[in-house]
Amino acid sequence: MGDVTFKEATLPNGLRVIAEIIPGAKSAAVGYFVNTGSRDELAGEEGVSHFLEHMVFKGTERRSAAQVNREFDGMGAKYNAFTNEEMTVFYGAVLPEFVPRLLDLLTDLMRPAIRSADFESERQVILEEIALYRDRPDAVLFERLQWRYFGVHPLAKPVLGTPESISRMTPELMRDYHARRYVPGNMTLAFAGNVEWQEVLALSEVMTAGWQRGRATRNHPSFTPQPGSQRDEYEKAQQLYLAAASPGVSARVEARYAARVLAAIIGDADNGRLYWRLVDSGLAETAVAFHHEFDDLGAYYFYVQGNPKNEQAIAAALREELARLAEKGVAEDELERAKLKTATSLVFAGEVALSRLFYLGVSYNYTGRYEPLDAVRRWVLHLQTYHLEELLEGNPFASSFEYRLVPVGA
Amino acid sequence: MILLFLPFCTINSKLCGYNCWVAVPISETLENGLTVAVEEQPWNPGVSMVLLVPVGAVNDPHERQGSASMLETWLWKGAGKRDARAFADALDALGVRRSSGAGVEYTTFAASFLPESLARVFELYADLVMRPLLPDEAFESVRALALQELAAVEDQPARKLMRRLRREVFASPHGQPVEGVEEVLRSISAEDVYEEYRSRYGGRGSVLALAGGIRAGEVLAAAREFFASWGGSTPQALPVKLSPPHSFHEQQQTEQVQIGLFYKDVPPGHYDFYAARLAAEILSGGFSSRLFSEIREKRSLVYSVSATPGSLKGFGYLSAYASTMPERAAETLNALRDEIARLADGVSREELDRAKISTRSDLVLSGESSRARAVAMARDVYILGRPRSLEDVEAEVVDVTLERINLFLRNHPYDRPWTGTLGPVEVV
Repeated sequence: MGDVTFKEATLPNGLRVIAEIIPGAKSAAVGYFVNTGSRDELAGEEGVSHFLEHMVFKGTERRSAAQVNREFDGMGAKYNAFTNEEMTVFYGAVLPEFVPRLLDLLTDLMRPAIRSADFESERQVILEEIALYRDRPDAVLFERLQWRYFGVHPLAKPVLGTPESISRMTPELMRDYHARRYVPGNMTLAFAGNVEWQEVLALSEVMTAGWQRGRATRNHPSFTPQPGSQRDEYEKAQQLYLAAASPGVSARVEARYAARVLAAIIGDADNGRLYWRLVDSGLAETAVAFHHEFDDLGAYYFYVQGNPKNEQAIAAALREELARLAEKGVAEDELERAKLKTATSLVFAGEVALSRLFYLGVSYNYTGRYEPLDAVRRWVLHLQTYHLEELLEGNPFASSFEYRLVPVGA
Repeated sequence: MILLFLPFCTINSKLCGYNCWVAVPISETLENGLTVAVEEQPWNPGVSMVLLVPVGAVNDPHERQGSASMLETWLWKGAGKRDARAFADALDALGVRRSSGAGVEYTTFAASFLPESLARVFELYADLVMRPLLPDEAFESVRALALQELAAVEDQPARKLMRRLRREVFASPHGQPVEGVEEVLRSISAEDVYEEYRSRYGGRGSVLALAGGIRAGEVLAAAREFFASWGGSTPQALPVKLSPPHSFHEQQQTEQVQIGLFYKDVPPGHYDFYAARLAAEILSGGFSSRLFSEIREKRSLVYSVSATPGSLKGFGYLSAYASTMPERAAETLNALRDEIARLADGVSREELDRAKISTRSDLVLSGESSRARAVAMARDVYILGRPRSLEDVEAEVVDVTLERINLFLRNHPYDRPWTGTLGPVEVV
């Protein structure tokens, strides 16, 4: 798409406002990216980030929960929110004429009322959400892998919290957390698609004029991965679920694109090394790898699901493939293929305003820079085998932690 | 069918932005019976393709249930002059993002790529469906995968319940499981599945839909070059037959009870089809929808609750789903049933207005994505026989007045569901 321009400004209260503008696009997307998640929770706050994300939709001083929902739906918005270890994001996509209304609504929501009655009823919804994931062995697998791999590092904490931590949570504790984390210096307001910069910037300033300045910090304790493995029986699993994590690179460095391509070479769902070794042969139903970036570090993740009878063969194959990669590196032709595929998906990521918003907001929040999709695409296409070999130096896979869930009695 | 070459009126014009581009899909049925549909989206740099072959669980012979799904896996084990790996490498060398899978009525092969690769992508997909190697030596791994996929359903309670619900609802083969049944998967031979390829794959009845930054004329020329010689016919669609509405429970030690409801609805193409779609939007569209606000927001019974309209060729339905902990399961099931039945009392003007705006906004937003348009066009051609423009659909939505939808809801009450639960306690 031509004519894409980027704008950025910092409001007097410290809120950063950014926009990737595509004149003539059919829609526009707006999002608040708050730099906060489960890793920023103090002892006793486990799960508050995600619980607060729910409470945000329960209304403000100006609006009840029902009014909030009716307003979103009344402009035909596609809207939602998500919380992970490091970020809480509220977003919506609308036809361009609704941008001011959507902005007003999202901005108001950033100052939620957190009413006690709503808090009690939403607590029940969160407990149901936790129960829902306990019926999914793959979700349990990743939560426990994260817990074991990260150990005492704050990234180990489960995003949803636990039934115990959610049952103990109070509105006062949530308000404290909100006051500490939802400060303008810790948030980015992002726009993508068909918006008028001067208009949305002026509106943003007026709408957030009452926000108190403030910054929030994040602890960055050091992390030394401890290689290891663990195997647990799980009464709700009929299949074998195996995952592993190894140290990768942070969301702030350009090498993350090389890391993603490296993960694709080993674990692309249709043509990765693990696919040919495990899925094509019929040993497993799924075998994939991906690289996930956090603020100050990153991780390669490997995931295999298959027949419990093949457990030993699957675990051995994964170890062998990682050892072979560490020892022999990658070949030119497989690098070329993985680069092209990654580059093509970036083209499609640019089609829809909402998907542009996620790329824009997440990468800006981590790097403080604008990285246009086209530029990222060019970086990816310029990768050489030595870029990947640099990542393999020091053999990150030697520090893997492997975690398995197996059926009872397997 | 007359072919319209649409001008690229907007791309360089300062007076007229992308907004005024009215994308109108064209379609043409080749002599072999393959229908090609194209929508030009000059603002999109990429192209998405969906090849729909009407081979699915519904036309799996009873003693070969699961064969459509096995075939889809087997096709990827080599085609034309390439073995499986060379084939995957050739697609990767063009940067093609792909997905494929068998469903109830058809198997789809979807690909996203850059316009300059069109001819080479067609060549590869023509090999895949017209000249697959279907090598015997790969068949045991195809069987092993199919068995694992079936076993994995046990670990996905929601999917397991909805699969059982479909089996309970349909008296015709529309209830046959896509993943097949264990006895068949264990015993079926490579020859049996090969026979299913020979008798069911073909150009006649299949659909090739593309959307994106590409010219319709180029697509049609390339389609003729690579797919015109695709002989054979795909199976005729079967009429839907239903069992009488009833209830069932499946015992399983899960944290939550899974609840599923299924209602017969008006079919695609019916005068009231969009009245029914808007009713479903009012029931379960956004956060202000009835199910979300009553069952989750007001009563906190669930995290997930939804009602989803669906259609097969010549048949429409509404399915609803909720999951909740055992002590609230009976209350949730009743609340879900009551809310849906309450549609018969009619909807308000505000509800209808919100549902219309939301549906129209969905349509516009889906028009941004080449993938979404290719999928919608392929389904339109399969179900209705022609692709529709977003404007056509929007006009039908706008046409539904308050009087019309309320008359429809009064005459078509959603009150006789098939009901299923899965979990540690029986509540039906």
